[in-house]
Amino acid sequence: MTTAQASSDHISLLISRSKISTEINKTGSWCFVRPGYQDRTAPCSAACPVGEDIGRIEMLAVQGLFKKALETILQENPFPAVCGRVCFHPCEGACNRGEFDEPISINKLERFLGDIAFLDGFGPSILNLPNNGKKIAIVGAGPAGLAAAYFLTRLGYVCDVFEAADAPGGLLRWGIPSYRLPSDILENEIQRIQNLGVRIHCGEKLSEDFLIEAKERYQAVFLGCGHGRSTGMNIAGEQMAVDGLKFLYRIRNGEKLPMQGTIAVIGGGNSAIDIARSLIRLGAKPIIVYRRRKQDMPAFEHEIKMALEEGVQIQELLSPVRIDQDGSDYILSLQEMKVGEQDADGRARVVPKDSKTQSLRVNQVFSAIGAEPDEVWKVPPEKIPEILTLSHCTITQQDLPIVFGGDLTNSNKSVTDAVASGKQAAMALDTLFQKGWENINDRLSECRVGNSPALSMEIYMGGDRKNRSRHIVAYNEVNIDYFQPCNRVVSLSVPLQKSICSFDEIDHTLSTTGAMSEAQRCFNCGICNGCDNCRLFCPEVAVTLEDNKRQINFDYCKGCGICVVECPRSAMVIEEKKV
Amino acid sequence: MKKVIEGSHAVSEAVRLARVKVLSAYPITPQTHIVESLSEYCADGSMDARFMCVESEHSAMASVIGAASGGVRTFTASSSHGLALMHELLHWASGARLPIVMAEVNRALGPGWNLWMDQTDSLAQRDTGWIQLYCEDGQEVLDTTIQAYRLAEMVNLPVMVVLDAFFLSHTYEPVNVPDQEQVDRFLPSYVPRIQLDTANPCALNQMAPPPVYMEMRHSTQMAMEQVPRLFKQVEDEFFSIFGRAYGPVETVLCEDAEIVMILTGTAASTCRQVISDLRSKGEKVGLLKLKMFRPFPTELIRKILEPIQKVAVVDRNFSFGASGIFAQEIRAALCNYPEHPPVFGYITGLGGRDVTPEILEDIYWRTRNNATPKAESQWVGLDQEIVES
Repeated sequence: MTTAQASSDHISLLISRSKISTEINKTGSWCFVRPGYQDRTAPCSAACPVGEDIGRIEMLAVQGLFKKALETILQENPFPAVCGRVCFHPCEGACNRGEFDEPISINKLERFLGDIAFLDGFGPSILNLPNNGKKIAIVGAGPAGLAAAYFLTRLGYVCDVFEAADAPGGLLRWGIPSYRLPSDILENEIQRIQNLGVRIHCGEKLSEDFLIEAKERYQAVFLGCGHGRSTGMNIAGEQMAVDGLKFLYRIRNGEKLPMQGTIAVIGGGNSAIDIARSLIRLGAKPIIVYRRRKQDMPAFEHEIKMALEEGVQIQELLSPVRIDQDGSDYILSLQEMKVGEQDADGRARVVPKDSKTQSLRVNQVFSAIGAEPDEVWKVPPEKIPEILTLSHCTITQQDLPIVFGGDLTNSNKSVTDAVASGKQAAMALDTLFQKGWENINDRLSECRVGNSPALSMEIYMGGDRKNRSRHIVAYNEVNIDYFQPCNRVVSLSVPLQKSICSFDEIDHTLSTTGAMSEAQRCFNCGICNGCDNCRLFCPEVAVTLEDNKRQINFDYCKGCGICVVECPRSAMVIEEKKV
Repeated sequence: MKKVIEGSHAVSEAVRLARVKVLSAYPITPQTHIVESLSEYCADGSMDARFMCVESEHSAMASVIGAASGGVRTFTASSSHGLALMHELLHWASGARLPIVMAEVNRALGPGWNLWMDQTDSLAQRDTGWIQLYCEDGQEVLDTTIQAYRLAEMVNLPVMVVLDAFFLSHTYEPVNVPDQEQVDRFLPSYVPRIQLDTANPCALNQMAPPPVYMEMRHSTQMAMEQVPRLFKQVEDEFFSIFGRAYGPVETVLCEDAEIVMILTGTAASTCRQVISDLRSKGEKVGLLKLKMFRPFPTELIRKILEPIQKVAVVDRNFSFGASGIFAQEIRAALCNYPEHPPVFGYITGLGGRDVTPEILEDIYWRTRNNATPKAESQWVGLDQEIVES
């Protein structure tokens, strides 16, 4: 430092002035804590059964980088357009923004990105696939089997998918009505999987013998053939009830099935709802009869709400005991139930209310109480030495590694869980071939998203996401000063009077501006979106930006922590300086 | 050209005529009209200046400090709480020897929340190294603001032009607004002694350790000491062009006075009438209007008050635990004179209360009828009902 004294008109003027750069004062030597960039896990992605990198997807969508956003989904899920329609979106329940105003419409955004892929003709994003010479047979072209084929192909395996029906898709094609999932959407996404080189052989119903033959041609088998047979009700007159799943299949197969009168639908799952809503569209008056309460129904809440709006009646706490025919009508005898103690799983147990019964006169009875494997060899064995039970699949290794997946093993029978199963199977098989049976658990555990069972293929394949901290960003770690309350986007839909007269899709895809403004609401929890607050707030100008990459110059960082506090999305950490 | 304008706009007109380059301010009643009109001048192009919008008075002062370090003429304005928030940077502006000019509209500090006239806000900044000039009417405000730039730039010290809330800031009076050409003659463009220059980089005002700090403070005081002399020079030049001058103090009928009343701001106007009335009754009373508070014109005041028998100081301010601040300063100026007159301190007109001719006459008679002050400060016009409640 020097002092400068000038003189003019005898006025003393003495101030400090220096020509030496302040760079010599390495303020970094003062610090005892150090900030750093650390991307962390968003709660939505940990809640997603397939662990999609949602915070990053929305960040890319805000920037208009739709292709990149789509590719980020495709890392973890080959079915964005499908899941954007039918997923029960637990991500939105976990969304931190829900505590602020309303959760992000993650599901609708996924659908937008899935659909825009076909509108904009985004080609296959994964090229130059490796080929390790190994072949895998996949039984069942449902969401689990197709996902297994998709992920295995990306890992270098050649996959043959065998499907009993004459078109692929499984439950997506035959079980979900087209007003929720139009066929062309499904076909587009299956085509994208086939474009990778996956071979789908339709009309090939396999028998148990296949597991023996397969040894000659394949290095492993994935069984994702789902639950093909409706569960019986074990009541008198059961044979007079229409099999609900077969009914849905016939509708999707294009059969004209005019319906009329009052129809009882027995069950409380998503199929019961799908059947009831389909019956409305065919001209009948469906009544869902469920043995527990409405709030106990396994069907997704949104689906129940839609069914009620469309005019489906739900009668709860009624358990069917017999079906009798009376002329052209049926009499359904129902035992009245009451709520008892709680089950082990927390659901209220229902017990008969005295011996009270009532009867319901209907024109038809449909059953939809669940489904089970149609053949015994599709059930994963128990108590054999070489068996590994994972969250979404079970692997046995006797002569040939066999993975049982999808609905055969999943406790949560959703499309997204089926995709998770196919992904887990792909990782498990690849680990088995690369590192051996005993390393499967550890290797898969390295690929977990946060603390959830969801696995990331991007992490498995060594992508940037492997550097992400497992820490799940909590709401109180978001700096909400940087966000304005703003309602979530509402998608347009066909008016009710019109939608219940056809099987056309009800909801529209978000517009581009709608999607971008919705994605803008995302906190991007734990994901740096380049907002630059850290750099702008740094009192030491110690944050540098080069090639769009921010770095902290520890020669000058005093460890004040302002950057960490001002990071709106908790994508920075501060740690004690290591001596 | 004579115009009927608000006291606030007398400031704005002066700032425009001074060709200020950078302005920054944060609105606060009763100062807002000043910067409101200046922002309009910047927007409509009648001023070639940059108006920096900021989120606080602290930042407003920081902004003009930055701009002044770049070597341009700057302006800001504030009041009361806003000025208090600037406090830290007021020291910085003077320590950095930057010729910033600020209009300060005297307003009371809360609580209780009060928007009205009170001098405690500016007087609480007396030790920050700013020159302080208190004005009586709109014309004086305009003239003093223009003069302030000349003075500030001569001594490299910031100047606060102080005016009463509402009594002056919001009162319309005829004011002679000079021509630009005249002002340009009086106030040529600014040639800075301190200027950051990107072609010749340097850092200003960084650490000053014990071996130099004291000398820097001494240097500021040496510059302050030159102010009375230079202010006279400035006023003389101003007078030669505009025909008006005010002086650091103004005396009215003090030559033969036995009692001199000391006032500042608009209350001095009221006192002119009171003096005249009392004179017509044969009372030997004079008025000393104090314009320059920093630097305090000690020599001048000693000379004026030395032959006087009693001095009555009217303070619209108060230093808790002590007395009225002007009274303190007058006592301090006189105390080294063995035969100095007693100083009667009166507190009145706080928080916008009117200082009426009756109050000033009451103050005169209290001084006249007592040989020595009853107390350091006498509070005049208190509502006894409230006091005793």
